[in-house]
Parts: sequence; C-alpha cells; structure tokens
Amino acid sequence: MATKKYWKGLEELNNSPEFVQKAQSEFAEQIPVEKFLGNENQETSGTNRRDFLKFLGFSVTAASLAACETPVNKAIPYVVKPEEITPGVANWYASTYYDGSDYASIIVKTREGRPIKVEGNDFSKVSMGGTNARVQASVLSLYDSSRLTGPTANGAAATWENVDKEIGGKLAAVAAKGGAIRILSSSIISPSTKAVIAEFTAKYPTTKHVMYDAVSYSGIAKANAGTFGQEVIPSYNFAKANVIVSIAADFLANWISPIEFSKQYAKTRKVSKDHAEMSKHIQFESNLSLTGANADERIPVKVSEQGKVAVNLYNAVAKIVGGSALPSSALACDAAIAKAAKELAENKGKSLVVSGSNDVNVQAVVNGINQMLDNYGKTIDLENPTYTHQGDDAAFADLVAEMAAGKVGAIITYNTNPVYTAPASVKFADAYNKVGLRISFADRADETASLAQYICPDSHYLESWNDFNPKKAHYSLAQPTITPLFAQPRHEGTRQAQDTLLKWAGNTTDYLTYIQKNWMEKVYPMQGKYMMFTEFWNHSLHNGAIEVGKGEGEVLATPVADSTAVIAPVAVKPVKVEKSADVTPEVVTVVAKISLNDAAQKINAVKAGAMELALYEKVGLGNGNQANNPWLQELPDPISKITWDNYVTMAPAQMAKEGYLMMERQDREASVVTVTVNGKTIKLPVVPQPGQAEGTVGIALGYGREKAGSLSEKTGVIGQNAFPFVQVVNGTMMYGALEVSVANANETTEIAGTQIHHTLMGREIVKETNLESYKKNPKSGNHDEMLVTHSGVKKASTVDLWDEFDRPGHSWGMTIDLNSCIGCGSCVVSCTAENNVAVVGKDQVMKTREMHWLRIDRYYSSDMTKEVAKEEGIGAIDMYLEMENPAAANPKVVFQPIMCQHCNHAPCENVCPVLATNHSSDGLNQMTYNRCVGTRYCANNCPFKVRRFNWFNYNGNSDFAFNPTQDDLGRMVLNPDVVVRSRGVMEKCSMCVQRIQEGKLEAKKSEAPLKDGAIKTACQQSCPTNAIYFGDLNDENSEIAKLRKEEAEGRNYFILEEIGIKPTVSYLTKVRNCEDTIEDGRKSAGHSEAKSEKEHA
Amino acid sequence: MDTMCNKPRKQILAIISFLFLSFIFSANNVSAADGAKIFKQNCAVCHSLGTNKLTGPGLAGIATRAPGDEWLKKWIKNSDALRKSGDAYAVKVYNDNNQVPMSAFEFLSDEELTSLIEYIKAPPVETPKGNSGATGDLAAAVPAEQGMNPLALLIGVIVFLIVIVAVLRGVRFSLKNLQNEKQGLPLEEAVGPWTELKSWMSVNKTKTGLVILFIVGGLSSAGWYALKGIGIYEGYHPTQPIAFNHKLHAGDNAIDCQYCHSTVEKSKTASIPSVNVCMNCHKGISQGPTTGTAEIAKIYEAAGWDPDKGAYTKPERPIQWVKVHNLPDFVFFSHQQHVKVGKQDCANCHGDLKTMTTAQQVKPLTMAWCIECHNKTEVPGMKDNPYYESLHKKLAEKYKDQPITVAKMGGIECAKCHY
Repeated sequence: MATKKYWKGLEELNNSPEFVQKAQSEFAEQIPVEKFLGNENQETSGTNRRDFLKFLGFSVTAASLAACETPVNKAIPYVVKPEEITPGVANWYASTYYDGSDYASIIVKTREGRPIKVEGNDFSKVSMGGTNARVQASVLSLYDSSRLTGPTANGAAATWENVDKEIGGKLAAVAAKGGAIRILSSSIISPSTKAVIAEFTAKYPTTKHVMYDAVSYSGIAKANAGTFGQEVIPSYNFAKANVIVSIAADFLANWISPIEFSKQYAKTRKVSKDHAEMSKHIQFESNLSLTGANADERIPVKVSEQGKVAVNLYNAVAKIVGGSALPSSALACDAAIAKAAKELAENKGKSLVVSGSNDVNVQAVVNGINQMLDNYGKTIDLENPTYTHQGDDAAFADLVAEMAAGKVGAIITYNTNPVYTAPASVKFADAYNKVGLRISFADRADETASLAQYICPDSHYLESWNDFNPKKAHYSLAQPTITPLFAQPRHEGTRQAQDTLLKWAGNTTDYLTYIQKNWMEKVYPMQGKYMMFTEFWNHSLHNGAIEVGKGEGEVLATPVADSTAVIAPVAVKPVKVEKSADVTPEVVTVVAKISLNDAAQKINAVKAGAMELALYEKVGLGNGNQANNPWLQELPDPISKITWDNYVTMAPAQMAKEGYLMMERQDREASVVTVTVNGKTIKLPVVPQPGQAEGTVGIALGYGREKAGSLSEKTGVIGQNAFPFVQVVNGTMMYGALEVSVANANETTEIAGTQIHHTLMGREIVKETNLESYKKNPKSGNHDEMLVTHSGVKKASTVDLWDEFDRPGHSWGMTIDLNSCIGCGSCVVSCTAENNVAVVGKDQVMKTREMHWLRIDRYYSSDMTKEVAKEEGIGAIDMYLEMENPAAANPKVVFQPIMCQHCNHAPCENVCPVLATNHSSDGLNQMTYNRCVGTRYCANNCPFKVRRFNWFNYNGNSDFAFNPTQDDLGRMVLNPDVVVRSRGVMEKCSMCVQRIQEGKLEAKKSEAPLKDGAIKTACQQSCPTNAIYFGDLNDENSEIAKLRKEEAEGRNYFILEEIGIKPTVSYLTKVRNCEDTIEDGRKSAGHSEAKSEKEHA
Repeated sequence: MDTMCNKPRKQILAIISFLFLSFIFSANNVSAADGAKIFKQNCAVCHSLGTNKLTGPGLAGIATRAPGDEWLKKWIKNSDALRKSGDAYAVKVYNDNNQVPMSAFEFLSDEELTSLIEYIKAPPVETPKGNSGATGDLAAAVPAEQGMNPLALLIGVIVFLIVIVAVLRGVRFSLKNLQNEKQGLPLEEAVGPWTELKSWMSVNKTKTGLVILFIVGGLSSAGWYALKGIGIYEGYHPTQPIAFNHKLHAGDNAIDCQYCHSTVEKSKTASIPSVNVCMNCHKGISQGPTTGTAEIAKIYEAAGWDPDKGAYTKPERPIQWVKVHNLPDFVFFSHQQHVKVGKQDCANCHGDLKTMTTAQQVKPLTMAWCIECHNKTEVPGMKDNPYYESLHKKLAEKYKDQPITVAKMGGIECAKCHY
C-alpha cells in the first residue's frame, strides 16, 4: 500500500452513495436510439415499432443499393508539381510561435502543402525543443473559419485598394492637423516589425508605439530599473538552481517563459542511482497552481500575504548571510520561511527566488533577496535580458487617459484585445470610441476590432514571414508554411500587418525583402561564422533559431558604464550594464532608485481582506487569445480537471461552512456564486479546491470571450471574463483583488470534469519516495508486488498464467518518469493533433465520454499514512476513513499520464468477440477500427479505462458542430496517416503506430538497422520536460533498454503488475525532495490483507 | 566455387557477345525502315513530319523547299558550318527560325542520311484509329458483353416453357373433353392450373420438396455470391479523361514505369504523374500512332500549351483522372514498402500494363488477396538488408527449413496496415 493515500477527487474522498453508483455504472447510458430515429421525445412521437421496421427496411435496402454502385474516386495530380513536394511525404519547415506571450521556436510538419502538426525545434537555445499546449494547438487556429477573409470598413467587406486609399487619406488628415496617432500592440520582439513601425513613424511623426500585455510583467522591469537602472526582465536559469523559492510565480505554466523554464526545471529533477541529487522547490501561493502542484513543499498563503512573505524571507536570509532587516510583520508561515531561507543561504549562488507579483515593491524586495544570495550572473542573467514581455502598464494607462480626453486622432491596434483584457476601472471601450480613426489588425472581429472602423486582418503566423529576438543575442525566423488560406481570387485576402504598415508608410518593398535587408544590416554583422549573407540567411532559415554574438566569437556590445546602484539597506554588487546593441531598440529610462525600506513599508501596509481573489491563467487558454480553439477548451485543467469552463476555486472547508454544494466535479451540480469586486459582478460556479488558501478564491482569465469566433455560437459563451477584476495598483496591473465579496446566487449549474471515471480502490498506482530514502535505497517506495501462490509468496512479475510470446523483431516500450512530468498537458493536445482525436463537447464530457487517448491523472495525497496509524494505534477502518478525510488543506499532488499500457497479456484482447483488438509481434496492443463492432466489452475489461468509444458520429452529427472535422477548413488539420473514426467504434492509444511504421520504413529503405530515437511518439516529442521515453526494448543500446536495466532494481515499476497483465508502459517512482519519512519494505502479506479490508470497508 | 562457376559463364558470355556483334555488323545495310528509326531517335524531338512547327519547322514539303538532297545532308551534319560558309538558303532558314541553330549530327553516315531523307520525303500515312476512350487493344482483355445476357436467356426459356405447358394443357383439356363427349362421359370441369398444381403437389410430396429445396438453395447461393461481391471491383475499367495508352508507352516504347510513377520508391503512393512529366516528351510528340492528335491535344489543354506558338500561354487545367485502384480509407498501403524494400514487380498487383491501354483493376484488392500473398511470399530484399539481419537470424532459427514468409515476419498483423 502506498505510504500516501491518493484520491482522485472529493467525491471519491467522501465516497457518497451517488458516487459509488456512478463509479460502478460507467456505461450506464442507454443506446441513443432516438438519435437515429430523429425524434428526441420517444413517447410522444408517432415513431413506433412499425415505423422502426420501415426505417430499418429502407435503410437496409438503401445501403445495399448504394454498396452495389462502384464509387468514382477522382485523382487529380498537379499540373506542374513543385520540386520539393512528394505526395504522401511530409515536409518540415522551421518557424517560430510567438503570440505576444509564449515564445517557442518550432518545426512545422506539412503534408501536400498544409501544416498539420507543430513540434519543438531542438536548435533553439531558448525553447530548447519544448512546446506547450497552446503552441501545439496553434495549428488548428490557422484553420479557423471565424477569421476574416478580407478587410472590412465600418463592418462591411471592402477591398484592400479602397481601404488603403481611405486610411491613407485619413491618416494624412490626422497628421496634417498634428493629431496624435497611436499604435497599440502586445509585446513585439520582432526587430524588423519594430523597424517597420519606425518607418511608419517617420512618415507620420505624431505616431507613438505603446506595448501592452494582457498579463503584464512590467513590475519586474520597473523593479530592475529601480535596482539596476535597467528596465528589463532578466533571463532566469532554473537548471542551475539547487533551491527554488517561488512566491506565486507559476513558472511551469505561464510565468514569462514557461517552456524554457520547464526544460530547465526538469533538468534538476532527473535522478538516478549515480546522480541522486535534485533541486528543492518551495512554493508560497494562494491558488493551487501547476507549479505549486510540482513543488516539494507548498505553503498556502493569502494574496495579501504574498508580499509579506517576500519581506520576511528577505529578513530571514539577511539574518543568516548578515544584512540589516526590513520592517516586517509576523506571518503564520514564518517557520516555513525560515526553513526556506536556510536552504537558500546554504546554496548561495545556486538558488533562485522568483515572485509572480506585478508589484514593483515586491519585485524590488525579491531582487534584494537574490542579490544577498549572490544569484545575479549565476541563476539570473541581467546581461542577457528576455524581451518577450515588454508591456508597459504605465504607458498603457497614459494612452487610455489621452484617448479619453479626445487627444488621440487615430489608433491602430495590433495583436491585442484591450476591450476584453483591460481592467474594468480603465474603461478602455469608452476611451477607444472617442478616437476618430480606429484601425485594427485583428484576424477576426473580436471585442476590440468590432468597435474599429477598419479591420485590416493580419495573416496567421503560419502564413507569414517574421523575425524574433526573444532574448539578447537569440534570433529566430518564421516562414510561411502555407499560401494564405484567404487570398485572391476567392477572397479579398488577409495581409501581414507589417506589409500593411509598410504600404501606409509608402514603402513598396515586401516584408520578406525588408527582413532580409534588416538582417543583412544588423544581425549578419553580429556573427563571424558565415562569409556570405545568403549563406547565413539560408542557415538561419533552415535552423529556425540562431544565437549570435555569444559563443560565436564576436561581441559587438561594449560595456559603457559600471552603474553601481547602491540601495539601502543592502550594498549592491556592481552589475555590468551593456549598452544594448541589439536590433531591438532599448529605451532606457532613468527611474528613481527604490529604497527597500520604503518598499517593505508599503508592502506591510497592505490590508488583508476577508475574502481575496487571485486571478490565474490556465495552461490551455492562457490569456484567451485562442479561445476559439476547441482543442484547448476541451483540454482539462491540470489541477481541477474541468473542461469548457472557468469557475471560482475555494478551499473545501470554507465551502462547507458556506453551505455550497461539495460534489462538484464530473456530472455534478455546482453552486453558483456572484463575485463582486469594486462594483463589478460576475456569476460563476464554485468548485472546491484542496490546497486553496483559506480566505481566498481563484478565477481563471481567458474565458468569457463573446467575440472570439464561431465556437461561442455553437456552445454558448464559455465561462466568464475575469479580466475586469484586474486592479491597477501603484501604476501596475495587479492580478487579484483584496476586497472581494462572494455571495450565494442560490442557483446551480453543471460543470464537466474528466477525472472521476474510475476509482482507484486503494491500489498502488503512483509510487513515491523522498530523496533521503532514495539515496539510501534506490528502490525505496517501489516495493515489488507480491502474489500468494500454491508454492508460496512470489513476486508478481514471476507469476504468469499465460505463455510468453516471441518478440523477434522490435519490442516497443515506453517509460514515463513521474519525477519529470509536471502535468502541463502539452502531450494531450499533441496526441489530439497527431491522432485526429475528436472533440466531444461539454455535455459528452459530463457523461464521461471524452475521447482523449492520453489523459493526465492528478492524485491528491492525504496526511494519514499506515505508519502514522500504526504509531497512533488506529485501526484499519478508521485509518482508511481518516485517509479519506477531506481536511487535507494542503495536499501533495502527483501527475500521472495514462495512455493504453499495451499490456502483453491484455484483458481487452481476450474479450473481443470479433478479434478487433489483438497483439502484434512487436508488443503493440492493436486496435482495428474496421473490424470493431462496438460491443464495448474491451472498455469494460480495461483496468486503465483508456479505451474510448465513439458514441456519435462526431464528424457529421450537427450536435457536435464545434468539432474541427465538421468544418471545411478545420478538416485540413487532420493527419492523413490516421483514420478518422466513425460512430460505434472503439479507439485508443496506438503508440503512434503510424510514426513507428514510417520510422521502420525509412530504416528499411536506407538498409540500416533502426536508429534509437528515430521514432518518437507525439507525446514524447512534445513533452517540455522529456518525461517520456520510447524505444525498442530489444535493442540493447537503446536509451529505454538501458534505462529499464538501470532502474530495474530502482524506480521502474508497472501499474497493476499484480494482476498479471504485463504492461509495456512502465513508470519511474516519483522522488520528492522533502523530509517526510517514507518507510520502506512493507510486508506484502500485510498489504494484501489491508487491501481486502479496504475493499470490505 | 566461384572460379568453377565463373569460367564457363565467361565463355558463354564471350560467345554470345561475338554472335551479337556479328549480327550487328551483318545488319549494316541501311533501309528506309531505319530512316524511321533514325528520325525518331534524333529528329522527332524538334521536328514533326507534318506542317506544324515544334522547336524546328515541320518537314512536310521539304523536298520541294530545300535546294536538294546534298544540301540537306550537309545541313543535317552540321548546319552551323553550312550557314557560316555563306549558304544563302541556310542563312534564311536560320533567320526564319528565331536564329536557333540546329544541333549537328556528324555521326550519321551517308547511307543513314539517305535513308533518313527518303523517310522524311515519304513518311508512312498514319491512320488514326479513332479516340473513343477506353477501348482500343484492351477490347480483347475485357470482352464487352456480347450476345444475350444469360439471365435473360434463362428467363426467356422459362417463359417459353410455361407458355408451352399452358398451351399443351389447353390442348389436352380440349382433346379429353372431345373424347369424353364422343364416348358420352361427363365433361371434365375446367380446373385452374393453380388448383391442378396444388393437387399434383399434394400427391407428389417428395418431388415438390426436392424442387422447393432446389429453388431455395439456388436463390440462397446466388444471393450469397452476390453479397460477397459487394465492394470488390475486380475488372473495374473506368473511362479516363485521356485514353492514356499504357501498351504504347510502357510496352512498345519500353518506358520504365517509374519514369512517370516516380514516387513509388519514395512515398506510400506511386503517384499519377503531373502534366509537366507528360510534357517532357509530348512537347515534341504531338501525334500518336493510335489516336493521332486527339488525346495528346488534351494534355496540351491541361498544361496550357499552345503547340502552334510553342509556348505555355493558356490557363492550366488539371486532369481529373479516375482512380482505378481504390483501397478503403482505413487501409494504409505503402508502395515503397512493397517496391523498394520488398522488391515486388508492379505487375504482381496491377497486372501486365504493357498489354493494356487505359489501366484496369485486374486483381480483387481484397484483404484475403493481400493475406494470401503475405502468407506465401518470402521477402526478396530481406536477406541482404541489414535492417532485417537480426530478425532474419532469429526467424531462421525458429522456422528451420520453412520459408520465412511476410506473415512470419509479422506482415499479417492488423496494425501493419490499419491504424
């Protein structure tokens, strides 16, 4: 039995009769007969047995007649085939994803000229081959039929010629009168785009460019300006940090550069027998975030306490390393802070403190802590700042004020949607409507663009040229992977914003030539490797991402000054400041130095509210710019496992006190509450969230998009917009509120979660140990499963009812390192894209019918363990009741990706009456759709519940119109190498057999043995933490074979090994760097006894 | 071993090559037939025998235009030299044709030139055989339904027999009553044929049973075979937008299949050639031996080629071929696996295209047919391919003397084709 008891949700924890009933009847729904008879009301309709027979007779006849006809399939070859295209073979192009927030260098898979999949680019030193869910899903956003197909003027379709002429005239008129022209955009990291804007500014000198991020980090930049005189966000290196303390920074999911940080973080979490070391991660936060769920220690604190945690941590560190203290106030978690400070001080120069706050004062204190810890130049790199978030909250506020005062003559918005994202107090929409000329580059008539007079739709990033400078010395390119979908002669067409601006600026060069010119002049001289520009350009375009100036010899930037910023009370180490010689022009403003004493005083003055709000972004929707993407809407939140909604998260104890409904997940009703902040009210369901700090609630941003596109027409507006709750405090945005009233609306609603489908029944699914125990015994926490046989107690792996089968060729295997998996869901979306997995919608998710082949189970732990029970003399029944005690205010969390385990003695295979699922000689559990008759026996017999049944024709049934396959454009994203399944067919993870087949064939053609790593499954390739290993177990030199051998007497284990199914997928025990004692070596007999007791209980 | 084997082989080779060479030398007397050959090999790319211009002018009426045979010979051998020598007609021809010089053919012997000129002067009159699409030579391979449909014949016979029975019955009834009348017996009542049949059936139960059994059995088996044939299109031979003649291209002219179906070793699809591949040759060849210009003109239309101007001036119009070999969407068949790795001949699945005009499906393309082949075929490329080395060793050990077929290597497992 696990030392921690995990439960999958509060329903299981409470084990109410309804839950037990649900759990036992997963497939309780009736066959949807009325669907095909076309009438919802069976009783009242005239449809009776005779009609049924008529329908039956007609359809049988029709089907047989149709079957006799030879279908005529056309085959239309190219007239002139492009040289690089071979029909049936994919082409890969390097490109870049940047939506104003997430940055990833990517490679794009195209088939016959259409992009169908995005993968990470290993050449990039910024994103390092990683992707996240949003990057993975972005390929579907290309085929979004809600995009505009041409420019509009005052809501009516227009031609580019007219629009250019009219806007040109109006801009000239504004400029002639000396009226202000403003370009409002999200962060722009494209040097060439900035040059284009400069060119536009040269033509219209009253132009000013303002950058505004939906979720801003300007507090960090401001604090750095105060501390170091440099208004930048530094690069962080989590890989070099032995101790990480994060105060509400969700750096694995959203904070600044989550893909990069996940890659770095995972490097510090890989343990092996030879390297039994890992970082220690301590998180202070209010909501249970993805990052907090991965922390070794997590301390829930209220929103108002977050700044105080930073101050107290500062003092605790100062006490150890010798520095003067700041004014502070006592906190309940001071002991935890002292412990964290001790760890940090012991790892000076190898630690990292980050804060998710956007408050300048908090960030200044955090800077002070990192300075004391000597982290600058080691884990924090100020000399190579990151440029991905340049939004300036103050400049935005100034702009809105200017607009409200009627001082702005024209505004151009580019890649930003402030009507949706701006705080309510800013009243952006009113100010916007006062501007005389409103132009938007949005690709759809979104909340802001629909108020504009002209929409000049930008092309999608996969249709565009662009360049990027995410970090100093790092450059990357984006190239079109498809001809613009909306183009002449069928549509007026979209046009790249840069081309539009160039045209208005009177420059006739196209943007590609412009980028090349810009690179020739600015980027090319920074490197010394290539003698010819074309050579350099081709290399850059091929690799997608390049690094210049560093590592390649020449650093052009020379230090101009040693700014020694001394801030009271800590003496600051001098930091070399380099004049930015990058293409990105840096505006260095001199900001008053921040006194940490003042900062601390301001932080201490923050008054706690009775109920506080922490806003957060989900890994799926982020800031909501891809809200029209059904893949992201159906991706379950990694923590709550809820799809298609945002909601209020609240501590369970508090909910019980308020009398809200407690059984919320799955097809449960949830109480609806009204949340009011500063007079602005929204209604949302409330969901119990273990680990949520008491006295706080959390709401996700990015929902409630009313004008995101056609998805909201088909499903209704999804969730509620929480952006109006953003506060402007001290000139920066605060993503939370301290005075919140939450009131019962006396309504209920239903929300769709994916987690409660199947119960654990107390079996050991996730194995876990801690670092100390692991150092002593690599097998700690991973006890062998034992079985009682007639010849004594034996290891489960040695007992077998069945014969072994030959694996003469390959033997595919997969291993998942639970210590690396952060639960981000990138693999889930990647799998959806690769395998044409259907989107089923909220109603079907509520009926447990989601189709994801790969899910990530999230288990909470409780504090009661068998050891504690033994010590305290608690009986087994009481112990299990206690284990299920919902008082777990701060549970530990583990994530476990579950896909088909490809059992070698698969229970599903035995029960299929038509042999539609069986085993291959290379170890795959094969699912043959064309053979399946839909008995669902296999799904009922699968112990992992990974088989998914097509209850409906998701590709044709109008009830599922949101499915991408029902749209002429959306269908283009389908992978032609995988069948689109039809109604009545079972499906499941195939271990990307299409990739296996392709990889094998390449090896056969090149007449060489298959190289390890040549085949990667979609989930493996997209994983930002390299948690998934896949390869040939028969190849002794493969990574996975070596890993299995090394970990055989270590962390490797198979789920449910004791029932004799011999899974192909194995897991590596999770190791936590915390002090809980985990006793090893449990008695197997005791285990089975305990289990049976539990079952009786 | 090697030397023992090699020696006689080398001798045989030597003998064969000697015989071959002597044949070539003995066949040195050139004739007009060779003129045709020489023309095809060297001239047809740029010149037509008619009046239309390709790269060079059409050659009809050359005998009357050109200054004479000797001039022609000089021109063909080296037109550049002739022109530079100041020959007036040569300069004129050069200028008339956009000053594009004709390649030199110095290697042609005098005799060859004579026969060539003879051929050009009097080309064989070509009689286009009409362009009615998909018939042509394949008529023999796919017999059109001639004569009567056997089912119609059967029904006809049955109807005929029923009529005869009815007539005979009437005759018998009349005769019987006539006889009865004569003999003074009471007349037979007119009994309907159905009543009579029933009474006959009630008397002859065994016979009735057998007949019914026969009819039911026959219908069932007919139905069974009809149902089994659903979805199998063996013999499918659709009419194509262009009556492409495989026999002429792959058979007579021996063009390799992969010249057109070029991705067969690179991709899962063999690919239908794009029009620019056709134009590689048909820029020069505007007239074919069977359909004349009719079918080739369709290529020009698709490619947007104006044969008179010799330029791509018109809009492109992709050809909508009708796919002949259709597999269901849930089958992932790979040509490269079979052709490149498995070294299979195209004809194994597609039949001998060298004898067909437009393509026809000659194999059932059912799963049973796939499996049958996989069950008995040893992979030819396997032994020498290092990819298969360890697998082959293991299987050879396991199946001692049996052949190692595709099936034994896992080639009939579901997920090899269905995913």
